[in-house]
Amino acid sequence: MTVTTEPGGGYVDTGLSADLAAAALDLARKFHDGATLWVISPQWEPHAHHVAVEFVHPVIMGKRALPSVALVEPDPVAQARVATQPGDLLMAVASADEPAAIDAMRRAPAWGALTLWIGSGPRPPAGAANHILWVDSDDPMVPATGRFVLLYHLLWELTHVCFEHPGLLKPAAEECADDVCVTCSDEGRLAEVILEPADPLGQALVRTAKGEEWVDVSVLGDVAPNDLVLVHAGTAIARLGDERLREEQGPDDAEEVNR
Amino acid sequence: MTTHGKQTESTAFLYPFIESEETDAGSLLDDLAASARGKAAESARLQRESLDEYGPGLTAAGTEMAERFLRGGRLYTFGNGGSSTDAATLASLFSRPARGRPVAAWSLAADNAVVTALGNDVGFELIFKRQIIAHARDRDVAIALSTSGNSEDLMTALAEAKQRGLLTIGFAGHDGGQMAATDDLDHCFTVHSQSIHRIQESHAMLGFRLWSVAQEHMSRPRNGAHTS
Repeated sequence: MTVTTEPGGGYVDTGLSADLAAAALDLARKFHDGATLWVISPQWEPHAHHVAVEFVHPVIMGKRALPSVALVEPDPVAQARVATQPGDLLMAVASADEPAAIDAMRRAPAWGALTLWIGSGPRPPAGAANHILWVDSDDPMVPATGRFVLLYHLLWELTHVCFEHPGLLKPAAEECADDVCVTCSDEGRLAEVILEPADPLGQALVRTAKGEEWVDVSVLGDVAPNDLVLVHAGTAIARLGDERLREEQGPDDAEEVNR
Repeated sequence: MTTHGKQTESTAFLYPFIESEETDAGSLLDDLAASARGKAAESARLQRESLDEYGPGLTAAGTEMAERFLRGGRLYTFGNGGSSTDAATLASLFSRPARGRPVAAWSLAADNAVVTALGNDVGFELIFKRQIIAHARDRDVAIALSTSGNSEDLMTALAEAKQRGLLTIGFAGHDGGQMAATDDLDHCFTVHSQSIHRIQESHAMLGFRLWSVAQEHMSRPRNGAHTS
């Protein structure tokens, strides 16, 4: 047994506390704008349920109920895809090597969702989620010791503190507002294919953080529903991550069998 | 503040922290981070204090659980709300641990059909008791989690479990409530805190300790040569 499953290993250090604070402010801002918090935890479904009940029915009387739902069907990625709308929040409570969490987190930008990832063990790569709240321990028992519970309890508590500061819940000033924004217009935007083209020269329907749009996919050739592509100026210019997906997780139908 | 009109400016000094005009998140983020560290330190302190207080009791309870598992006993866990999810996490720890020997364990809140059928037909306070009646054998174990120690659906289920010869264990909070007073519990572990969140975090650690003790006991040779 390593030190992390001992009591006292539960301290939150400076880095994690800063991560929690930043995540809480983002959560509060999104909830303020009408977001729903979707939660997946393919390895430990009870954690997803605990997060949801925490936000929906607060243990402290008088705190507002916030929309949060645990997605615990056998294919949580498919469930999150249907549930998530632009502006929503998507949280995974999972290890960094959990295939469904990896897949959901990488697709979430196309769904317009801000992502949070709680876990322990080796960290996900930087940028794998908007907020990575991590217990740096290789002890596999960490998820059963209250450490994850502590993290999402803190997240809930801090989020409600943010609601007492309405002036800070407005969108950040630098957020994209028009077409000249570098982030949204000059760079490629992540998109997920909804409908493949009806004919060889036709357009495909995709979803991005901004909603649904028809794009030219002739550069890519065949595209299929759920393919991740980069969209630039109305054209899908690159397909993302197929190789990694195929190697690490197998094709979509095999994924479903495995779960 | 310099952009405000004259009227506002004349009185703004009276209200230096009007939250709706706050624009710099820096100090809030610092406060939040400090709050997180403080609460986490309290969580760890309470876990340590609870383990220290109940060391011998946890060893006894974990050992008795192991003896029942070795006789084919099963574990039922139950609670309401967040505690029901912690009960489910505890059941998973016993039934599919990352290491060690798995044993039969499940949460009595896990089956929506059963819970809603019982809640609808016989009343919410009987959702766990009726399952104990259906499932329990005298070699089984029941663990109930309640931060107040007063949940009626848990208390009736524990009474039934005790009557049927199960090993009964309660995790409570605050002053222990009815759980601390009842004769239906073989072991009651009350986490002395007023915070439901901190209590739940300590319940998880107490459950983990029970699991650790049970695992250690089940990994020993069974001829008695190495028992303590």
